[in-house]
Amino acid sequence: MSFFEGLKFRKVSSPIHDLDPRIKFVFVLVIFVLAVVFAEILPLLFLFILQLPFVLLARVGKQWLRSLKGAIFFAVLIFLMNFIVSFIYAGYVVTAQMIENAFTMTFRFIVLVSSFSIFFLTTSPDVLGLALEQSHIPYEFCFAFTTAVRFVPVLADEAQTIMDAQKARGLELEKGNFLKRVRNYIPILVPLIVNAIRRSLELAEAMESRAWGATKKRTNLYVLKPKREDYLLAFITVAILALAIYVKIFVPIPKITQILRISA
Amino acid sequence: MRFMVARESVEVIKTEKLTFTYAGRNEPSIRDVGLSIEKGEFVILTGPSGCGKTTLCRCFNGLIPHFYQGKLEGEVIVAGLKVNEHPTYELACHVGLVFQNPENQLFALSVEKDVAFGLENLGLPREEIRKRVDWAMKVAGVYELKDRAPYELSGGQQQRVAIASVLAMRPEVIVLDEPTSFLDPLGAKRIFEDIYKLNQKLGITVILVEHRLDLAAKYATRVIVMNDGRVLLDGDPREVLSLEKTRLLGVGIPKATRLYQLLKNDGIPLKSGKVPLTPEEAAEAIKEAFKSD
Repeated sequence: MSFFEGLKFRKVSSPIHDLDPRIKFVFVLVIFVLAVVFAEILPLLFLFILQLPFVLLARVGKQWLRSLKGAIFFAVLIFLMNFIVSFIYAGYVVTAQMIENAFTMTFRFIVLVSSFSIFFLTTSPDVLGLALEQSHIPYEFCFAFTTAVRFVPVLADEAQTIMDAQKARGLELEKGNFLKRVRNYIPILVPLIVNAIRRSLELAEAMESRAWGATKKRTNLYVLKPKREDYLLAFITVAILALAIYVKIFVPIPKITQILRISA
Repeated sequence: MRFMVARESVEVIKTEKLTFTYAGRNEPSIRDVGLSIEKGEFVILTGPSGCGKTTLCRCFNGLIPHFYQGKLEGEVIVAGLKVNEHPTYELACHVGLVFQNPENQLFALSVEKDVAFGLENLGLPREEIRKRVDWAMKVAGVYELKDRAPYELSGGQQQRVAIASVLAMRPEVIVLDEPTSFLDPLGAKRIFEDIYKLNQKLGITVILVEHRLDLAAKYATRVIVMNDGRVLLDGDPREVLSLEKTRLLGVGIPKATRLYQLLKNDGIPLKSGKVPLTPEEAAEAIKEAFKSD
């Protein structure tokens, strides 16, 4: 169950992990928007390089690379689509410009994937839940979110147990064509769902016993308070945004092919 | 008949002719239960599976009739409050319920947050929550685990966290519904020792639903045996557990007590006068019998 392993939450501490998730989210959002706004390779490259210190400071290099690797398939797809379409439009000729455009689109996708992966890799679910709560999202939703995360490892264990039990009774999961294989999973899913429902009843009982719904104005043990580092990140975000607006309006951004032609 | 303690007795739980039928069932799950439990008691509630122990526990904090639908007759008064007139969250501050499966009573992603859950729901001021959470974690012995995620804990640790989170609400009564059935014998023994400490040091009334009487019986001041929804026996542990009736019901009476019974049946009564509940007590009684010969 290596897939579920990845979903287990861990409490890690690093300068990036400790940042206020709300400001971190705004930062990621700004990168996202800028990556969509700019269609040239140079600013995208800048946005990409900008993320590297975050990856290094948070020490999530491995996981970050893994998420980029996961995006390769779509990246190749985007490159081919862009290239083929412009190839047909241009009347079946290949130019350096076309390759650069296709590459830019692909790179834009990678910047987007990378920025969101940094956010989720460095924000633990309980902090995220807290951020949701303090963003005035109804507590029921925040609770549902954190509880769902909390039960992922439990349900993964349970799925494994059920699989073993059904295999012991002769169920062969890896046999047959695609449809047959999907059908093989029904004897796994049914007990899993039934158990989950039973579990949820017990959970509800325990919640009731712990004064769930006693008051509309619920307190939270933790509060998110922006620290110096958070203000710094907020400043960086604003600076990037201001720079981007300035560049977008006043500076014509050259393409790599243009630069090369000038130097040639 | 209950032996009355000399100190001032305050009744914390009182039921009268309590009968409850779950919605969609024909037979009531508990019938005519009349109990009076006083402050500071350590009550063990036992009996064969399906005899209504859990149902009775649910009546103590208002899960019945507020959460479970059904027909409730008779009366339950907890800490002076009639359960059918007060919501569960109000009763939860007086009666803490700890369930069988530790996994399904922890919701948060860290121990500390879980212990705080009930207090957060009550909307207490943050400093008060912090104080009580730290206190409860220390009392239940989970302070070192406070940043751990629930799946990183053993069953015993999880159950301890569940106890801490109930304790944080400062209840007068703690009801534990088979808290050790997911634990190994050593884990169970430790949990019982800790529950006993709560009872002795903090004066919390304990109602423990349990089958493992070998380990738990010595802590009890009172044993209640239920069968088929009714209270069958109620009294001093040594008395109740040495009755033939209790054994025939399938209650797992302590082996030391059983040894005493068998010796007595064979005409070798142990003279010490009191029925042993633990191997230590039995050994002591046997030693005495040898000496006097």
